[in-house]
Amino acid sequence: MMFEKIKKDYLEAVFDTDGEKAMRVIRDAVAGGVQPEDIVFNVVVPTLDLMVKAFAENMDANLAQHYMTAQIASDVTEEMIPKFKKNPASGGTIVIGTAYGDFHSLGKMIVSGCLKARMIKIVDLGVNVAAERFVGEALAAGAHVIAISAMMVHTAHGEKGCQGVRKLLKEKNLENKIKIIVGGAPFRFDRELYKTVGADANADDGVTAGKIIENLIREVLE
Amino acid sequence: MISASQRLAAALKGERLDRIPVFCNLIDQGARELGMSIRQYYSRGANVAEGQLRLVKKYGHDNLWSLFYVGREAVMLGCDKINFPDDGPPNVADFIIKTPEDIKKLHIPDDIYSHPEFQEEIECIRIMRKETEGRYPVIAYLTSALTLPCILMGMEKWFKLLLFGPAELRDELLNKCCEFFRKHLAAYKKAGADVFLYSEAFGSTDFVPMKMFREFCLPWIEKDLEGVDPQGMVYYCGSSRLNPVIDAILERTRIEAFYPGPLDDAAESGRILNDRALFAGVFNDIRLIEWTPGEIRSEVKRIITAGMKSKKFIFGTSVIPCCVPETKIRVLLDAALEFGVHERR
Repeated sequence: MMFEKIKKDYLEAVFDTDGEKAMRVIRDAVAGGVQPEDIVFNVVVPTLDLMVKAFAENMDANLAQHYMTAQIASDVTEEMIPKFKKNPASGGTIVIGTAYGDFHSLGKMIVSGCLKARMIKIVDLGVNVAAERFVGEALAAGAHVIAISAMMVHTAHGEKGCQGVRKLLKEKNLENKIKIIVGGAPFRFDRELYKTVGADANADDGVTAGKIIENLIREVLE
Repeated sequence: MISASQRLAAALKGERLDRIPVFCNLIDQGARELGMSIRQYYSRGANVAEGQLRLVKKYGHDNLWSLFYVGREAVMLGCDKINFPDDGPPNVADFIIKTPEDIKKLHIPDDIYSHPEFQEEIECIRIMRKETEGRYPVIAYLTSALTLPCILMGMEKWFKLLLFGPAELRDELLNKCCEFFRKHLAAYKKAGADVFLYSEAFGSTDFVPMKMFREFCLPWIEKDLEGVDPQGMVYYCGSSRLNPVIDAILERTRIEAFYPGPLDDAAESGRILNDRALFAGVFNDIRLIEWTPGEIRSEVKRIITAGMKSKKFIFGTSVIPCCVPETKIRVLLDAALEFGVHERR
């Protein structure tokens, strides 16, 4: 019952893009004796899942809400993890970056913020990442997923982006070990584009991407 | 013979000439027409003018673009790192605002028209006007105060400042960006542009909640447009949807034309506007990559049929990607020119 009330208040604050209120809800809960592990796994992560569901059902969700959701989830998780009784189990590893020639980092930041709460290790390659680097760094980190953000048609569709990564994974026989997810405006305007460029999955927004990446990691591990 | 400018003027008044105006946003394709690299093409206003003139002659649409690339404003404000790809639009590769101190140091030039970086735009417009003698509207692209910070500091940092503050620093930046917008508009007017696309990503509820739009964004939009002659001003939110904000913009500004996103429904735009202002039915250009000629024609027909129920309507495209082959651009334009013909009364 207590978790339901905390979750409700936290969800409301995130939906209203009220960062201060969201953090106050969390701090009050901790002061009231709620364990840091419960804050992350029974409040923040279920709220992310509720946001994913809400975004899927409600076309009026907007970029500011996505940003705020990720930022708060990231801030709360960073504040709670040092207070955990033991180190949390890893949810897998991903490498993330923007496609070659693309300098738009907002989508990448939103995805990373949401993944942190899911205990997924993120290797952030930054912006303007070549296909060879995506694959090389994924191998070095033992990553299960390569996440590529592209906000422009030529970086989403071009051979130096996802198509190049797919080609390399195929050549190195890594397609069953590393999955590719793409995101960004061009993929929202053409729902089939992710298949054309050789990705395994596409996410409409950064918050939803967190959930899809979690599923992709599970697929690889199975 | 009816000119493109006459066609647009008639549409703005809700009058019918031969057909609806057809706006086609072919930007980087000008480089291909001239056999130049993207970098070389955008180095001279004369190149952009020649590229645009050739494209209009080739496809028969009704607009000339004086836009070089989004990011020119950042160059005028000190950015010296632009990424010029082979196959797409140039892109700001380094942001001039990295710290709060950079906002304080940001200087808006007194006069944009005489700014060295604006001289190629002036030359571009001069050539287009001379060659066409006013038969085609020349469009200028202007970035709103709320949107300009995206190319000065990046979306990620701008969102953080916008949503978390400090409010004083945010407002200091917005005041400078508003000043730049108004001076930029004055420069384009002096250079002879006819249509002014007011690009306002934060004026869409795809970007911000309606409450924030009404309470925070709308006052900044009003400030940008305060005292501005509305003739030729077009409200545009990039590829984002704007149908939900049309009423608010009409109530609070003197905007007379709207250029919706490709995911806005043209029939709904028409219903909301009810001939109070001109609007475009906008084709989703990314689909040109995959769609067959038959699918392209059918979608053009659907948009135009829905839009032409309104008197003040034009057909438009978003921004056609470089990878779209000429044959498909031709199919798109031919369909728009065919289905957009007014029935004789």
